[in-house]
Formats: sequence, structure tokens, C-alpha cells
Amino acid sequence: MIYNILFLILVAGMPYYLILEKIPAIKSKHIFLLSAFALLSSMMLSFYIPNEHKTSLVIISLLNSVYTLYRATKTTNFYKLSYYFIFVNSPFFVLYEGETSLYSLSLLLSLSGLYLIGQFYEKNYGSANYRYITGITLVRPYIGSYLTLYLISVALYPPFPNSLFFLQYILGSESNPLWFAVVITLFFGNFFLSMGVMKRTLFGRPNPNIHYVHMTIKEKVPHILIIGMLLLFSLYGLKEILL
Amino acid sequence: MEQIILLIPGIPIFIAFLLLFINKKELIPKVSIMLSSMIALLGLYGTYYVISNDTQIIGFDGLLVYNELSAILVPYVAILGLVIRKYATKYMWDEEGYRRFFILLNFIFASIYLFVMSNNLIVLALAWQLLSISLYLLVSFNVGSNTAVKNAKWVMIIHKAADLVFIIAVILTYQTFGSFDLTILSEKWLAMSHQPVDNPMIFVIGLLFLIAAMMKSAIMPFHIWLPYTSEAPTPVSAVMHAGVVNVGGILLNKLAFLLLLAPAVLHIAFVVGLVTAIFASLIMLVVSDIKRSLGYSTAGQMGYMIMEIGLGAFSLAIYHLIVHGIFKATLFLESGVLIKLARHDSNLPKRLTYELFWEEKIKGKSKKLFKYLAFFTILPVVTFVGVKMILTDDFFELNASIIILAFAWLTGTQLFLSFFKVSKDESFKVLIALISSFVIILFTYEFIGLSLEHFIYGENAVLFYEAATFNITTIMSFIMLSAIMIVGWLFMYTQHFPKVFKTDKKQDNLQWSFYKLLAKEGYFFNIIKALQRKKNDL
Repeated sequence: MIYNILFLILVAGMPYYLILEKIPAIKSKHIFLLSAFALLSSMMLSFYIPNEHKTSLVIISLLNSVYTLYRATKTTNFYKLSYYFIFVNSPFFVLYEGETSLYSLSLLLSLSGLYLIGQFYEKNYGSANYRYITGITLVRPYIGSYLTLYLISVALYPPFPNSLFFLQYILGSESNPLWFAVVITLFFGNFFLSMGVMKRTLFGRPNPNIHYVHMTIKEKVPHILIIGMLLLFSLYGLKEILL
Repeated sequence: MEQIILLIPGIPIFIAFLLLFINKKELIPKVSIMLSSMIALLGLYGTYYVISNDTQIIGFDGLLVYNELSAILVPYVAILGLVIRKYATKYMWDEEGYRRFFILLNFIFASIYLFVMSNNLIVLALAWQLLSISLYLLVSFNVGSNTAVKNAKWVMIIHKAADLVFIIAVILTYQTFGSFDLTILSEKWLAMSHQPVDNPMIFVIGLLFLIAAMMKSAIMPFHIWLPYTSEAPTPVSAVMHAGVVNVGGILLNKLAFLLLLAPAVLHIAFVVGLVTAIFASLIMLVVSDIKRSLGYSTAGQMGYMIMEIGLGAFSLAIYHLIVHGIFKATLFLESGVLIKLARHDSNLPKRLTYELFWEEKIKGKSKKLFKYLAFFTILPVVTFVGVKMILTDDFFELNASIIILAFAWLTGTQLFLSFFKVSKDESFKVLIALISSFVIILFTYEFIGLSLEHFIYGENAVLFYEAATFNITTIMSFIMLSAIMIVGWLFMYTQHFPKVFKTDKKQDNLQWSFYKLLAKEGYFFNIIKALQRKKNDL
């Protein structure tokens, strides 16, 4: 039981909302790093301490996920969005505790990409807020491509690994009402959030009041590496799910 | 050697990656077209191989197959893809994101090939989802337009829902039958069909697959994504109307043996298909926007396709989707030329019948004309019955044939109506044209339908008709057919003598309400807007 609660604290968002977001010294990018670290820790823990999940905890994490979805629709900040995505997926981590390490890793990879885009925005536009920086696809196609790939990946579309591992876990499990609730929430939750971000960043007319900045080669390299790793994960995922 | 054909789905992905590294704009379409020609050639070779050796090509551990269905569809999609790419070369030249367009186009074709050639439910599910996201990015290609992006949102929501329904159906299939392999599953389903099956889960699985197909094929009430996506570039419209919407029909053909076990699903397919065919075709006639009208036309045709599947005529649905695809792609791709010509000549577009026969409305009542009406409605039916009796002895044992017969009669009547405003002086010419066009339609439908049926399903084809039959007696079927004919006669009579039935005001109100229902596109968007308003008020 203690372990379950620990797991929930690590992956679900409520503690972060109640404590960390209230402290002015801790910024949203720190919360992402912390929550990503917590997710990795929970993955490691689940390897060493095998444990059965409690239905009540899955329900709590599901409620937390729905609340996070609500909060995520209100934000236009890449850093916040990155850790919101982790919390949205928390019921999945709790439900498939110990088995979702590959899904968690591929999710963290995609979210790292979003985090890096947030850093790029902060450096060039003053903050990681994307509210008025529209029409990226037209003016900065490379940044648009990276963002498109990360968001498609998080929205659970193949051939990206998130979708493949998600599919692999749900195909191999017994279905029940709670399972359906979790799967449907995550399937549509991740999708609607990603589509909302796409609409407000990639689409729309470019803002004439903003000087759109190109990425330097140095800035492109981490993105290319992340996409390369996602593709490698995809190949592994395809092998796992099909063969 | 023949295994190389199974690389077809990978070629467009390879092209897409290659395009990333091409800097010269002129080379983008050239590379795309050149390598896509390879797909067409491979597809044709595959078809030749399948026909000549009477075998299937299976590879990648049984994940992909080039079977009879692929042998028909892959060359069709490949040639369509070549034409669209060639058209897009100049059409998209001045658009922002030329390279992006060709990359996305290759991705959507890759997902269609993968879908057609998949022999495994997981591969099918992956292709199904790939198709959704590629379509979304293509429909919202004009990213600067708010309406394009807003309408693309509908595409995405309905397709994402279709993805979920499909995945749940796949999971339930695996839990019930223990395999993802379509060859194994089809054999199992066929064997099960020989004895009575009493498992409600099979009905649920069949229904879920049908709903997923309905969503992707814009069948009512999931049709709203299709008529509002016309802001997409013309080549995208062509891909959408000639390729993407057909996947519902292709899916149901792949799962044909499963539907043998769930005749109720076939009956549901028939009803929803029929409702969509009628309702969408009526809306098509009423909406004022020509592009939306084309969208509803496609939805109506998809209704026919699903209806044919509901009747057990699976191969006829394949024929229908190919013919409709070619027809609709031609319409979209020709629209630019027509607009250009119409700027110089206000009489365009001309009706073919006007060119063949000059227009001259027939005035007043004519007994001779009414005899003609009766003659032209009976003759097609008699011809059809005659031909069908020669072709198959047990034709009237299955109700499906009666409905196909009525459908053929409707086509004949429609032809007659389109030739209606012709000169009395040219009646012999009209008569010959009518009869010959009807016979051509009939024989094309019948011979190609039967040939396809034999090619794809062999002797098992008759099982589908048996499963889909409503178990109505032959006499009852003839009564229904007669009723359809009488309604048709009345319709034609009121068309020609409109004052006969205009008796009181009440009927006008009814007609007006019906017109409003169609003009408001079934009030679907009014309901959605009202719900959104309510949500905002809260």
C-alpha cells in the first residue's frame, strides 16, 4: 500500500499542483525536470519492487488525469504542457505498473523535444509561451516539423513508439470498465491536447508583429537525435508488437 | 522474386524521406512521379502474377499479402496516385509548402497500400491510424486558413473515434478468436459459418468494425467531416473522394467471412447504407455550395457501397468504389479546366444530352407520352430479369438480387429522366440511346460484378448473399418490386404533370418542411451549434 501511494505521488500531478506550483522560486521548467525524474524513479522502483496496483489508486489517478486535462487546456506554455502530459498519462503508469517502462521512456523522449522547443522559445521570444506565435509551419518549417512529430507522437499516432507501446499493452490485457475508462481517457486526452497545441502553434497565419527566428545547427542537433531515437524505438516497438 | 511486390507500401515512405534531402524544387515532383511509377509497374506485375499463377504472395511473416483484392486495388490506387501527383506538380507549384505536400501525399498513399495489403489486424490498425493523421495534415494543408483548420478538426475527431472503435474491435477479435492473422481468421470464420453460431460477441465485433467503416466512409450520422473539407487543395480532394473514403468498403471486404457469422450486421449495413444513399443524394440536390454538393454526392455513393455490402454483394462494392473513385477524381481534377473555360463561355458547363439532342420541352398532356413512360420503366426490368435468369438459375432465391434489380431499374429511370427534355422528333434516336445505355450499364454491372465475385471469393460468394438475405418469399419480393415501380411511375407522372397532386396548402407546408430539412443538411450543424451555445452559457 505504501509503495502504491509512493508511486502515485511520483507520477500523478496533484502534489505538484498543491505544493510545487505555489512556490515562486520553482519555475515550470524545473517542475518538468522534477516530474520526469520522478517518473524515471518510479520506473526503476517498479523493476525492483513488483507490486499489484490497487483499483482505488487507479481511480484516483484517473480523476487526477481528468483534472490535469482541464488545466492543460488553459495553458499556452510549453514547459507546463510537458509535465501536464506526464500527469495525464498517470493512470496508465499505475494500471500497468512495471510494464510501461518503454511507453514511459518514449513519452519522456517526446516531451523532452517539447521542452527543448520551450527553451528555444524562451531564448528567442522571451518565454516558453506560444500564444501569439502562430503559423510556424509556414515561416519556420523545420521547427514546425519537429513540433508536428512530437505532438503526433504524444497524440498516440503510429509509427511513433508511444502509440505502438500503448497498443501493445492494451492488446495484451484483460478489459474491464476501469480499463475502458483509462484507455478512452488517455486515447482522447492526449489527442485533444496535442491537437489544441497544433492549432495554436503550427496552424494559423504568421504573426506580423513577431520576428520568427531560425534554429541554429547546434540547436537542431538535439531534435534530430530525439527524432532518431524515437524512430529506433518505433522499430523496436514494431518488432515487439508484430513478431 | 515476386516477394519484391510486398515492398510497395515502403516505397512511398522511402520517397518521402528522399524528398527531405532534395533542394531543387523541380526535382520534387519528378522524383515522386518516377518512383511512384515503379509502384504502378510492381502492382501490375503482382496482378499478372496472382492471375496467372492463381496464388497469393505472402511475406514478412504473413503480415502482408498480395491477394486477389490487392491485385485489383493496388494498381488502381497506384495509377490514381500517379495522375494526382502529375496534376499536383503544376497545381501546387505556387503554394507554400510544396515539399511538405508531396511528403504528406506519399505518406497517405503508403498508408492506403499498407491497408490494402495487410494480412494482420494489428498492421491493419496501424495503417488505419496512419491514414487518419496523414489525412488530417493534408486537409489542413492550407494552415493559414481558419476555416480549413476548423473543418480539419472535424475530420480528426471522427477519424480518431474510428481509430478507437477499430482498436477495441481488434482486441475483442483477438480475445474471441485467438489470432490476428487474417488468413487464419478467415479460414476459421468460413468453417464456423457452416454451422449455426450463437455468440453475441461476434455480433458486437462485427458491429464495431461496421461503425469504424461507417466513420471513415462518411456514412450517416458520421458524414459531417466530408462535405466541409473542400477547402483542401484539389489533389487532396481527389485523394479523399477517390481513395480515403473507400477504406470502409475495403475493410468490410477484408472481414467478409466474419460478417457471414453476423447477418444482423449485414442488415444494419443495408439500412444505414440505404438511408445515407437517399438522404445524402437529396441533400446534394438542395445545398447551394457546389463543393459541398460534391461531398454529399460522395457520401451518397458510399451509402450505395455499404448498402451493396449489406446485400452480400461484396465484390460489387469493390467495383462500385473503383468506378466512383475514377469518376470523382476526374470531376475534381477537371474542375480547374472547366472554371477556366467557363470564364470565356457563359454557357458552360454543357449537358451532354443537350449536345446530342436539342432541347424542346414537351407541352401539354400526351397519352402517347404516358405509354412511353410505362414502356421505358417496364422494359428495363424485363431485360434485367431476362439477363439474370440466363446468367444464374437460382437468382430469385436471394432477395439481394431483387434489390439490385430495383437499383438497376432506378438507374434506367434516371437515365430516362435525363433524356426527358429531348425533341419528340428524335424519339427513335432517344429510344435507341436509352435502351443501349441501359443494356451497357446492366451488362457492365453484371459481368464485371460476377467476374469480380468469382475472382475474389470464388464459390464462397454465394454464401454472402445467403447470409444477407432477409428471408422474404419470392412473391413478397415481387410485390415490393412492383411497389417501387409504381412509386417510380407516380414520381415521373408528377414530374411531368406537376399540377395533378397540388390540391391544398397543407401539402405545400410538408414539402417546404422537407426542403428545409434537406437545405439545413439534416440540422446536424444546428444541433452542434445549439449544444456549443448551451455549453458556453453554462
